[in-house]
Amino acid sequence: MTPTTGRQEAEAVARHASADRYDRFVRLAQAIFGAPIAALNLIGNDSQFTVASVGFPKGEIPVEDSVCGVTVQQHEVLEVRDLREDERFAKIPAVTGPPRVRFYAGTPVRGQSGQNIGALCILDLSPRTLGRQQREMLADLGALLERELAVQEEMDLAGQVQQLMLPTSAPEIAGVEIAGRVQPAREAGGDYFDWFVVDDPDGGGKRLQVVLGDVMGKGLAASLIASEVRAVLRGHSRYTDVGDAVARTLMTTRHDLEANNRFSTLWVGRLDPVTGALDYLDAGHGLAIVASERGYRRLIQDYLPLGTPIEDSWDRASDVLAEDELLVVVSDGVFDVLDDSFEQVEARLHTILEPGLTCRQIVDGIVDFAVAHGASDDVTALVLRRATGIDSTSRESVSATI
Amino acid sequence: MSFEEVDKGTHVVLAPEGKFNLVAAPPLKARIDDLVAVGKNRLVVDLGAVDFIDSSGLGALIGGLKAARQQGGDLRIAAAGDQVRAVLKLTNLDRILSPYQTVEEALHGW
Repeated sequence: MTPTTGRQEAEAVARHASADRYDRFVRLAQAIFGAPIAALNLIGNDSQFTVASVGFPKGEIPVEDSVCGVTVQQHEVLEVRDLREDERFAKIPAVTGPPRVRFYAGTPVRGQSGQNIGALCILDLSPRTLGRQQREMLADLGALLERELAVQEEMDLAGQVQQLMLPTSAPEIAGVEIAGRVQPAREAGGDYFDWFVVDDPDGGGKRLQVVLGDVMGKGLAASLIASEVRAVLRGHSRYTDVGDAVARTLMTTRHDLEANNRFSTLWVGRLDPVTGALDYLDAGHGLAIVASERGYRRLIQDYLPLGTPIEDSWDRASDVLAEDELLVVVSDGVFDVLDDSFEQVEARLHTILEPGLTCRQIVDGIVDFAVAHGASDDVTALVLRRATGIDSTSRESVSATI
Repeated sequence: MSFEEVDKGTHVVLAPEGKFNLVAAPPLKARIDDLVAVGKNRLVVDLGAVDFIDSSGLGALIGGLKAARQQGGDLRIAAAGDQVRAVLKLTNLDRILSPYQTVEEALHGW
């Protein structure tokens, strides 16, 4: 068939459809109409993709053998009492061979492009007809499914946009190894991390700034605010120190945070990889540690999260990251699975300090651990260490995210 | 999750229970807004039956605090358990939402 917008969209949706996303719609159709078979079929360029079904296998068949391939070309329910009596369908394999279907009713399903991408159909093994009301119900069910497809696609795209805002390559500064990962509880979320190189405002040379932010709540709404805080902080960070950058970020975002009743915790560090000098600002985040064989210390301050009703002074604190030390920043999604207890953090330190682990492996270890232990929130980890004399890009240090 | 509400005349005590999270927080926040709108701006949130709070729960408390203070009142929290105290401390939110041991203590000065 000629590739059309609708067919291309169908191919894309079929490729990305999760295994059980649309199953409840076909189960509903099967139950409502008392049919042995119900399916959601998407019509691609040459194939029909059965992405949800009961009584019929999921999979791909040639579009010539598909009844839904006809339904998709019209705008109303297609009903065929007995497929053997319709010359368009009498010879297709599902009619001539098992399961020898006879009755078909399908309602076209529109995609985001406005064109039909498939059909929700019910099939029976003996001839039958639908009443007017039943035809309307089938069309209604199709409309509900359309809505589900649209919402899901929007959410997936929002999640992709957010993922693409995360750093995807090693920072262009020598002497560090770094990795980070976000695992949102939904398609998008309020957690994010960031890193970028800035010039020291005092003329001291290049600095690596790392950020971990957590906007209250989950999902798309939280991700919108997270994107704003991220961008504003990036902008201000170019011109000033981390304390002042956070103060200015709050000034710029205060209205939006307050209007939406959201707050954002933020941990911002700025490292000179040569000396290990580390300035940081902790706005109610509390979950940054420096760990080594000698133990760990927390890099915390008394400031409140952004968006809370109190004025703070926002002065940076200073530390020094030794060459054998790891800087680890996580979100509360990780802390929650440790019962919000630093004793448990301490008890697990050995897992991230094992010799030979890359930052990437440590980050994956932390995130996978939190997910495996039933984290219900967004989960984020950022790990950094100095790697003196080694160009960061020569080590396995590139961020990857899911 | 539902929550108990007792109007004592001078103040209102709200008592959520179980997980105070993304699901439970919005109804409580909405109720606080309603109370503040009709002039009941002295509120105590009794957290004695809450075993877990997340950032959405904290958000509802902070939002409620803001609403109450804007109308000249206050929101205080009482009987917070270990997890709630740990999260308040972690985020430094105990600076503005100091946890009182009991509802009675929270009424101090009202």
